[in-house]
Amino acid sequence: MPVVTASDLVVRSLSELDLDGIVRIAEKTRHRYQPDLWEDRVTFYLRRDPEGSVVAELDGDVVGFMLGDVRSGEFGLEEETGWIEVLGVDPAHGGLGVGKALGEAMLERFRQRGVRRVRTLVDASMPEVKGFFERLGFEADQMTPYVKRL
Amino acid sequence: MAETTTTELPKRYHDAVVKWRETFLPDYDFLIENWDRYFPRDPKFRLCAYRECGMPCSIECGEDQGKPKHQKVADMKPEVAHQLAAQIRAQASTEFGSIQQHQLTLARAQDEQEQAMVLRMMAEELRHGYQMLHLLQEDDWQPVTGASTDQMVEEILSMRTGSHVLGAFNIDFESFVDNIVFCALIDRVGKYQLSMQKISSYSPMAESMPQMLREEAFHLATGVVPLRRWVVKAAEGSPMITLEVIQKHLNKWVPRALEMFGDERGGSTNVKWGLKPMKNREAQDQYWREIGKVVHDLNMRYLRARLPQLELADAEAALARLESDGGSFQGVRAEELLRLPHREYFRRRGEPAFRMVGFDGETFESVEAYLGHLTRTLPDGYRATRDFLEFVEQMTAVARGDKKPEEAQRVMPQLRRVGGVCPCSRAVRWVADEAVELPGPAAG
Repeated sequence: MPVVTASDLVVRSLSELDLDGIVRIAEKTRHRYQPDLWEDRVTFYLRRDPEGSVVAELDGDVVGFMLGDVRSGEFGLEEETGWIEVLGVDPAHGGLGVGKALGEAMLERFRQRGVRRVRTLVDASMPEVKGFFERLGFEADQMTPYVKRL
Repeated sequence: MAETTTTELPKRYHDAVVKWRETFLPDYDFLIENWDRYFPRDPKFRLCAYRECGMPCSIECGEDQGKPKHQKVADMKPEVAHQLAAQIRAQASTEFGSIQQHQLTLARAQDEQEQAMVLRMMAEELRHGYQMLHLLQEDDWQPVTGASTDQMVEEILSMRTGSHVLGAFNIDFESFVDNIVFCALIDRVGKYQLSMQKISSYSPMAESMPQMLREEAFHLATGVVPLRRWVVKAAEGSPMITLEVIQKHLNKWVPRALEMFGDERGGSTNVKWGLKPMKNREAQDQYWREIGKVVHDLNMRYLRARLPQLELADAEAALARLESDGGSFQGVRAEELLRLPHREYFRRRGEPAFRMVGFDGETFESVEAYLGHLTRTLPDGYRATRDFLEFVEQMTAVARGDKKPEEAQRVMPQLRRVGGVCPCSRAVRWVADEAVELPGPAAG
């Protein structure tokens, strides 16, 4: 079996052709087949800002994706803020640096657009995700998520 | 994303486009009024020309690679400028032309959100046409085209389905299936053309492409996402849509899409002159692989809807077997699945024009048998169109030896419009009453 390295990865902008790959990765990681949900989400990001979301490709197959965009005016944040909202990596390609490649590409794209702050929310019960973002240079912020159950 | 600048056309041209919009895109005001309902949080639509800053300054391919890009038409060799003018005219024609086609059947959509997506896409196509007019208006093209800006703008805004530059834009839509399949297939060719023109040696052209490409990404989703949902409906036995209907519409549009790349043997001049990075066949090959993936993904969506109990890996293996070996799997037959027609099927332009090749690549000796095959594999409504009649006449003439394929190829499908149907084509006529002679198609 050939050795695959991070340098074999191609990170590029999201397209509608990635839908099946994204649905497949989400099914592997979340154990739910939810094509409708991902069709809505991908359409949302494509119509807002197709260059704001990225996928990682290996030999023509999508092995990871990161969805987000640039917004301002939310939660009292008036400055243009890059938001990383969804991340998925094919477990079969774990350890290759797919997430890191996606994150670095995303941050670079935000930087090129003049964005000074990038934000995301991390589930505290998922330390590996927290560690992932910390390795990308993220740190805890003043903002605290609140929730009220109805 | 780099910085962009925005510009409006001078008032007379801007007003002409608005007048055109009022006739051919009458739902535009509804779209703007309901924008937040269908596209919450999205930036508002604006009719203007965008130009990207910070694009490469050097010519990216061809004999002048590495030299500074041209800022003005006057800096270009006449033959290159002539070819570029034809490209811009063809591009503008496709943008305005597609709106005229979509408008025919927009109201027939069954799903409100799908309809809103197509309507937004039409507005963005209008902006793309506007962008091309901006290129024509901003520079002095008269020495190249022999026509003034007024004449060029008027000629483009006066085109109607039947008089556009490329064949795919001269075919009337019959149902909302056409709207969606057109987005998935024909807009995809648009994506290729825009991507190639992004490296144009004429800077204003290159700088016009990035924003158009961003918008085109949504247009492709406007085609693909409804198709993915329709195949699920078909799998569930919905009376509204079947895979056979979708297949026949693929058969209708795939040949026209392939022809939009130009003759398979051509395109080297565009590369030599730094106008595009790929020859026609190379671009068409890539497109072919891409639409093959679209069809494969639709089949996967269908199969999983038919057999929801299947695990992902089992579904992937089953589909791979059905697509390669045929047969059936748990009651799903390979013949049910979507397929691309053979690349030479129903072609009237390019290398395989009028070769009488069937859906599976089979060849026909008799023109009657071939036309019978086409009538069985194309949408019923399309068979009654002027466009198909034109093909039948040319195909018959070629088969009987009355015409050579290359002669038949040159016959442009023409719809027979009756006078007075379109008041708007005169509404933009503020200068000339006669059609203006401009260079031919951009296929190169």
